[in-house]
Amino acid sequence: MSEILNEKETVLSVRNLRKSFGDLEVLRGVDIDIFKGDVVAVIGPSGCGKSTFLRCLNCLEDADGGEIMFDGENLVDMKVDINVHRQKIGMVFQQFNLFNNLTVMQNITLAPVLIAKKKIAKIKCKNRWIKLANLFKGKDKKKPLLEIEKPIEVVQKESEEKAIDLLKRIGLEDKANVYPATLSGGQKQRIAIVRALAMEPKVILFDEPTSALDPEMVGEVLDLMTELAKDGMTMVVVTHEMGFAKEVANRVIFIDEGVVKEDAPPKEFFLNPKNERLKEFLSKVL
Amino acid sequence: MNSFEIFYREFITKGGYKTALEGLLVTIEIAVLGLIIGIVLGTLIALVKIMPKYKRLPRILEKVCDVYVGFFRGTPMVVQLLLGYFVLLPALGISVDGVMVAIIIFGLNSGAYVSEIMRAGIQSVDVGQLEAGRALGLTYWSAMLKVVIPQSVKNILPTLGNEFIVLIKETSVVSFIAVVDVTKAFKAIGDATYEYLVPYIALALVYLVLVLLITWGLRVIERRFKKNERNS
Repeated sequence: MSEILNEKETVLSVRNLRKSFGDLEVLRGVDIDIFKGDVVAVIGPSGCGKSTFLRCLNCLEDADGGEIMFDGENLVDMKVDINVHRQKIGMVFQQFNLFNNLTVMQNITLAPVLIAKKKIAKIKCKNRWIKLANLFKGKDKKKPLLEIEKPIEVVQKESEEKAIDLLKRIGLEDKANVYPATLSGGQKQRIAIVRALAMEPKVILFDEPTSALDPEMVGEVLDLMTELAKDGMTMVVVTHEMGFAKEVANRVIFIDEGVVKEDAPPKEFFLNPKNERLKEFLSKVL
Repeated sequence: MNSFEIFYREFITKGGYKTALEGLLVTIEIAVLGLIIGIVLGTLIALVKIMPKYKRLPRILEKVCDVYVGFFRGTPMVVQLLLGYFVLLPALGISVDGVMVAIIIFGLNSGAYVSEIMRAGIQSVDVGQLEAGRALGLTYWSAMLKVVIPQSVKNILPTLGNEFIVLIKETSVVSFIAVVDVTKAFKAIGDATYEYLVPYIALALVYLVLVLLITWGLRVIERRFKKNERNS
């Protein structure tokens, strides 16, 4: 079994993750490995720390201790440039959190374009130093200038094209230039997912993505998530949708008292739960 | 001769309107420049207040700002003017005219209030907006600048307009430091004739018209900022 697991590429590796709010210990040592292509459904009673766990994964909450390995770096370490890693960890919120002051198109392109802009500015700044240093060097020792991969206009254009493609995929390309306030909850959430996708993340975290939706709109969001799962996107989903956990997830984890109490494929998880607390929980929600 | 005729003679025939107009300009000058200084200062202070406080420098800056805001909100404007004009200036040994002092003191004073207006305006934006920006990999200041602050503007503007109105009216105390503003000019007309009824009513009307004009102007600006918000 372990050999099979080792063949898979680990995306996130969490060890002994701890987090307290004041005296309240929310996470007391969470251990979990998330592999490429995994769809992990996180369930548990309210207040058990599911959301906190998810928010710790991209450091929206700073963990108090433990280790989150992503791309070979420990995200819990305050010295790590978290902004770089967050670009590759998408997040979808319960309240959608689309930027209200921007159009749908701008919502999707803001981050990619802004980040590219900063990179270019950084390269230009470095080039200035290289030029300055070159003044004092012999002809043969001059350092070459760093190259700017794409001018910002190209990045902008490409981002917009990509945004249109993504919007077409969810059938909302006609909404590209409207403000979020004019959209329904389901549309907002699907655009929020697309916004995360535009960054080409390695993993997307979903924090109760359907809990704030009208019942009739839950389906369209879950459909999109199912589609992503089929495309092989790695996803961690905190959810109350047991149907989604059963049908789409390949692993279901149960968090209670701040630790992972059960981690199993959905069939085993729902039909043959081992943990007592989980049995009790399932008997209430199913 | 009735009150109106006395006022008319003093105001028009004897040229009192010139002083009044100059005074009006001084009033507007102090309020507008004071507000501009206030907005600049207030923005800086508000930024310090919302800065993440992981490091020591922001914490020290915040303490300094707290003292500043505490002083200017905790003492009356007149006292600040008197302190500035009669205590601070002689102590520093510089001579500046009263209008300049008034502008600076009004700027410092409104800076204290504006900082609170801005801070409240920024903090009234849903924290999810900042989180969504950060989760996409934007830096704190990028997310603030592109997402949070633009949304806070429409919360800030009405209160900022209010601050401007308060400021305009409060300039009526600058005669304490020998500045001739519109209040002082109308009072002078009354003093010259011992007839205060008409000058003071006229003065009240001048302020009223000023404030109504500003209110109208602000409403036009506010409406522009409301384009992209519906139901939310």
